[in-house]
Amino acid sequence: MERATLTLKDLWACFEGIIPATIATCAKDGTPNISYVSQVHYVDPEHVAISFQFFNKTRKNIAEHPFACVMVLDPRAIQAYRLSLKYERSESSGPLFHAMSLQLQAIASHAGMSDVFRLRAADIYAVRRIERVEGITSLPTPPRDERPPSLFIEPDLHALRVIAERLNRTECLGELLETALHCLDEFFGLHHTMLLLVDEKRRTLQTIASRGYQENGVGSEVGFGEGLIGTVAIAKLPLRLSGLDHTLRYARAVHDRAEAVSGPDAVCREIPLPGLSNASTQIAVPLMIRHRCLGVLVAETLEPLRLLIREETLMAIVAGHLAAGIEQSAQETEDQVPIDGPLPTPPAVRSVSSQRSFCFYHADDCIFVDGEYLIKNVPGRILWRILKQHQDEQRVEFTNRELRIDSWLGLPEWKDNFETRLILLRKRLEQKCPDVRLVPRGRGRFALETSVKIVLSEKPA
Amino acid sequence: MIPPAIVELLRTGVSVNVGTRDADLLPECTRGWGIWVDDERQAVTLLLTESASAQTLANLRENGLIAITCSRPTDHVTCQLKGKITHIRPATPEDYARQRQWRRAFLGELIAVGVPAEQADAIIMEPAVSVGVHVTGVFAQTPGPGAGEKV
Repeated sequence: MERATLTLKDLWACFEGIIPATIATCAKDGTPNISYVSQVHYVDPEHVAISFQFFNKTRKNIAEHPFACVMVLDPRAIQAYRLSLKYERSESSGPLFHAMSLQLQAIASHAGMSDVFRLRAADIYAVRRIERVEGITSLPTPPRDERPPSLFIEPDLHALRVIAERLNRTECLGELLETALHCLDEFFGLHHTMLLLVDEKRRTLQTIASRGYQENGVGSEVGFGEGLIGTVAIAKLPLRLSGLDHTLRYARAVHDRAEAVSGPDAVCREIPLPGLSNASTQIAVPLMIRHRCLGVLVAETLEPLRLLIREETLMAIVAGHLAAGIEQSAQETEDQVPIDGPLPTPPAVRSVSSQRSFCFYHADDCIFVDGEYLIKNVPGRILWRILKQHQDEQRVEFTNRELRIDSWLGLPEWKDNFETRLILLRKRLEQKCPDVRLVPRGRGRFALETSVKIVLSEKPA
Repeated sequence: MIPPAIVELLRTGVSVNVGTRDADLLPECTRGWGIWVDDERQAVTLLLTESASAQTLANLRENGLIAITCSRPTDHVTCQLKGKITHIRPATPEDYARQRQWRRAFLGELIAVGVPAEQADAIIMEPAVSVGVHVTGVFAQTPGPGAGEKV
């Protein structure tokens, strides 16, 4: 009986290693060879992997002539299948190799053979044909839909697992945020995303990371309750807006508000929120930890029907990981770092003719660089403190801890995420003044690096 | 000549796996249902079914080259025989008598490693085709570093 085309997934029960498979190969001189394989591993719908432990005849034949025929057996009914394979490549690192290697090690250690059984590589073969071997058993083949859902996971689920692992590996807050946006792009095709963090005291959200926009918009602000993002921060629930009307499209209100504020300086003291002017759909999900909202993760797209409940769900899961990571970083202390750094050395000034003029406005803790708005509030004060100490004491290295306890900066004593302020500062400098940089020097420590002369001035309140 | 240890092994209900190749050197594998060594220890006879082994039999008729790996399920003691076929013909009553002997031992092995009896019993082994093989090489194939060495 000819059945519908078989797929590798239909053979799921054969890939559990219950009945050993056999592999036939052929030497260049035409001599056939057949040997056992302990397990054929499913890789993807077109590929399987076979462990390479020993330099044997199979391996030699494959090197000469890359074709193989594998027979696998379904242990539920001893139904056999033939796979026509072509060798593609060997992997000796990566998740598949490590999973196969670990399995082998566990078996080897059981048998006290840890030194003998070692996976050299996972050999990846393309599956050219799958054939059900007829006339092997008189028992009926179990129906094709009898498949445990746990064996072949949905691609989204797999992607979430990879993302969670990547996020957990990040070393600092900045890396965590960048990795999250990168992953949303890489795995779910969310090309335009931004992350805003809540400033409880000022009841605003501030953009700390973005991806897929011409201007990174870091430092731009949205008030609580303003637009999609501000609404989500208050409601603490995800929100998805499709078929956006232009006026709703963003808390572009931010920009409008800036223009409405009197005084020429005021207008340019607002950084525009990044955003696609013609976005058709936006999703904003809150970063929740217990009952607090730490921030809002936003994605938007030009194509209608591209951001649906699936994307919202995936983003909500990533947002949960982000919230946990941000909370964790806020609680990490830098106690192990001594306040006294190495002797300050003046930075090299490459060209004395080039300079940057920083002006601090005491009225609103705002810094302009070469007449352009740079940053304000706490990050503004932090930068001013650093620049002043650099000018007055020739210091180049600073610690988070000394700044955290500096009363002039006005940081809250408890649970302040100092690192977020540094990230903001760093990114604003990258955008507006790339020749002055704050470079991390290990946990809780950073250095001021500059290739220009720095000139400071102040405007009193 | 097939060494006595291998002759002994082949008397103990081993699984029979057959490798061949076609004119383009494309390999093919199948299962055999019964194997025994002839009195001179120069040849073996094995049984295949036409339905499960059509391509294998076509390959054998075309070039006669065969590899046979036999393994005892309970302890994985394994050998590989290489050779050239001497005949392909429908199984005779004598062949079936030898097959029944092998089958008893083989099913015992399968049940011993946990295969349910009704599954083992459902394996289709006839009508069979008898394949005579003149053995030219015998190799140790028990899993491990020594696998592949000529015996």
